[in-house]
Amino acid sequence: MADLTDKAREEFFSEASDIIENFSRNLLALEGAGRDGEPDPALVNEAFRAVHTLKGLAGLFGAARLGTLSHRLEDLLDALRLGRRDLTSEVLDVLFSAVDVFTVVLDAERTGKNEPLPSLDALYAELERLGTGQAPDAGGGLDYELDAGMLAVLTEYEEHRLHANIQQNMRLYRLRVQFDLASIDKSLDEIKDRARQHGEIITYLPTGSAATADRIELDILLASKSDLATLIGALGSDNVVVEEIPRRQRSPEPPTPAEATTGAAAPPQEESGSPLAVAGERAIADRERSLKSLTQTVRVDIRRLDHLMNIVGELNIVRSSLSRLSDRVRSEGQRALAAELTRLHRAFDRRLSEMQEGILEVRMVPLGQVFERLARVARQISRELDKEIRLVITGAETEIDKLIVEELSDPLMHMIRNAIDHGIEPKEQRAAVGKPEAGTIALNAYQKGSHVMIEVEDDGRGIDETSLVNKALKLGLIEASEVEQLTREETLGLVFLPGLSTRETASDVSGRGVGMDIVKTNIAKIGGVIDVHSEVGIGTKMTITLPITLAIVSALMVQVSTHVFAVPLATVSEALNFDREMVRTVDGREVITLRGSTLPICRLERLFELERTESAPTRGFVVVVALGARRLGLVVDHLFGQEDIVIKPLGKSLSRVRGFAGATELGDQRVGLVLDTAALIEEVLSSSDGVRERLGVMHA
Amino acid sequence: MPDLVRAPGTRIVRRGIERGPVREFLVFSLASELYGVELARIREILSPPPVTPVPRSPPEVVGVCSVRGLLVTVVDLRRKLRVEERPLGRRARILLALAQSGETIGLLVDEVKQVMRLGDGEIEPSANALGGDLSEHVLGIGRPQGMFLILLDLSAIVSS
Repeated sequence: MADLTDKAREEFFSEASDIIENFSRNLLALEGAGRDGEPDPALVNEAFRAVHTLKGLAGLFGAARLGTLSHRLEDLLDALRLGRRDLTSEVLDVLFSAVDVFTVVLDAERTGKNEPLPSLDALYAELERLGTGQAPDAGGGLDYELDAGMLAVLTEYEEHRLHANIQQNMRLYRLRVQFDLASIDKSLDEIKDRARQHGEIITYLPTGSAATADRIELDILLASKSDLATLIGALGSDNVVVEEIPRRQRSPEPPTPAEATTGAAAPPQEESGSPLAVAGERAIADRERSLKSLTQTVRVDIRRLDHLMNIVGELNIVRSSLSRLSDRVRSEGQRALAAELTRLHRAFDRRLSEMQEGILEVRMVPLGQVFERLARVARQISRELDKEIRLVITGAETEIDKLIVEELSDPLMHMIRNAIDHGIEPKEQRAAVGKPEAGTIALNAYQKGSHVMIEVEDDGRGIDETSLVNKALKLGLIEASEVEQLTREETLGLVFLPGLSTRETASDVSGRGVGMDIVKTNIAKIGGVIDVHSEVGIGTKMTITLPITLAIVSALMVQVSTHVFAVPLATVSEALNFDREMVRTVDGREVITLRGSTLPICRLERLFELERTESAPTRGFVVVVALGARRLGLVVDHLFGQEDIVIKPLGKSLSRVRGFAGATELGDQRVGLVLDTAALIEEVLSSSDGVRERLGVMHA
Repeated sequence: MPDLVRAPGTRIVRRGIERGPVREFLVFSLASELYGVELARIREILSPPPVTPVPRSPPEVVGVCSVRGLLVTVVDLRRKLRVEERPLGRRARILLALAQSGETIGLLVDEVKQVMRLGDGEIEPSANALGGDLSEHVLGIGRPQGMFLILLDLSAIVSS
């Protein structure tokens, strides 16, 4: 029983986090849209609904503090959607801080600690300060020939929207639509979408009369600027009749909305069925819709997927045994049996790869999850620094392994901080050079082969190479004699050295520039590399190259002495024959010449201090691995060819061992180590003293 | 199942009162000495599968192996405790234990002997006499039936 409750609680928490993320997304959209005037009422209403749902959930699970917080925010959002208060930037600030407080409260509920939460109290104080807002506006006369039955069942919110639209001199239309009951969901959504392009849908109600029993008739109340002819042209069809609701002739005493509502409440109950029942049906329909959306997705602990992946790995072993068996049967002369076995093996092989792909697909999540969090951070930082920032996100739908997404959020946050703090100039400076006051930060993601690229680009001041070099000299990170030899790329690469900040003073936001080297290390941990491009006065672009997934990779199996290693194929650019005579020594480092350019090589047996029972063979292979512009040749004895492997991480007790991404089963009960090529390239190319190597930039 | 043997009314319980709560220890040997670890902490005893050495790992790590798909780091207890290393014999075994970090650690020992029940009263708490590297890994000394058992603190061993 305890397990069930735990599971339910776990689902409650992830459901709640989802809602909070949705809520945050709404706020961002509201802020973006609100800049150009009226906030979109649909967005406000959606934010209200999010908090409302959260309140309900909290009640269900006895999460008292979450419930109270949701309730307080619901009040505020209700006032907003009913027009009792305006969406000022002050109110938005409070709402944004509520997102963070939600997260804190949710954590507290999860751990069950009942300690005081200062941020929660602070938020309540803020809410208190905002007060409840003014009384609802009277809304002016409802001088339209509106069906009393319709008016009677409007909710307070719908009524408010009706008044608001009338005040803006919108025209009112009634769309009478008929649908097949069987396809009503789709048809209704479709007509709603089309109608929305012309105005705001106030409400829609079934009329209770339809031509046949399997059809349903609905009235949609639409407020729009367009004239009747336009709407008929756009929306009218056999099933959709558009009528304008005429303005009433000005009577000496126009009825107040209250009169119109209450006065009409009695008759429609006899006239057009029961409005109460209609409203009830709608509520049920709403609930069913939300239940449906819940059942279509399943949240799964990533460890369960890892477990499935392990099983697939085991099945791979079964598969190779099957292959060996069919070989053996064939060699024993039982051809028919062997052929059958081979067929089985092929079918098994195909299904297994499909399964592997399927599991991998499940692990993939869109980068949008991280990007939304970043948008919130960007907003917060730009406020703290009094810089106006336009964050432009593209490719949020790009998918990447869940584990990578988790590890990405900190480095990206750091990069955004740096971009806002160091990159984007203060408003006055921007105005002085003719740039728009609002700085633009572009966050782009896209897939390129088996890699995902993420770019963080700003239109700020760019990196000043001279001051970067000077600082590196001052800190003793490079020698004066080295400066001349640095290419531009290498100079810019200096930002990734520890201790280098591009600003003289430390700031609260991005600190003293301890950031970029840590960013680089963290990106390398998930198998990625980061490159920087910058033009003074124009901007800076940081590009991260990441593998799409960590769980299964194609690898080149190699042997050195008695050791078998797997080299992830994504990082292998080619393999060539190796002969000792090819090696030359430049600056105390072994290199070979590959098609006219110089390639540094690394002998794995020396790097890993592997013991050899016999002397190293004179011939072997060089596996050229590359990440970004960096290339390295790994010298090995034998190549075994390509295999799909499941990488299992080495245990925590080996976490300090560098150079290995994990281990994989080789099929004969043995385990092979998987090389962490990114780390090896980094390590080997930065091992000698020259700054070139320390930066890891080697030019071919 | 230590809980079962301590069920009320059994003889063991009455004996238990004299010698304090009883724990079961797995007794094994490293070189010529006998050691014990709490049996409840050991998940499995294995004949050593092929172990792949991991370059650059700490000296006491023999390498990694796969136990039905689970990756296990194998630690040579003899190196860990600085006991004389003899070539591994036929009786060498790996004890699987769960570390606090959630990682499964394999402990390589020369030979597994038996399971012994020891009351807390039968364990000399102080390991001062041992001194040096060993003392931080030792729970105490047990002397059942004239044996000399060094009782190891498994948490300390797998977490360091």
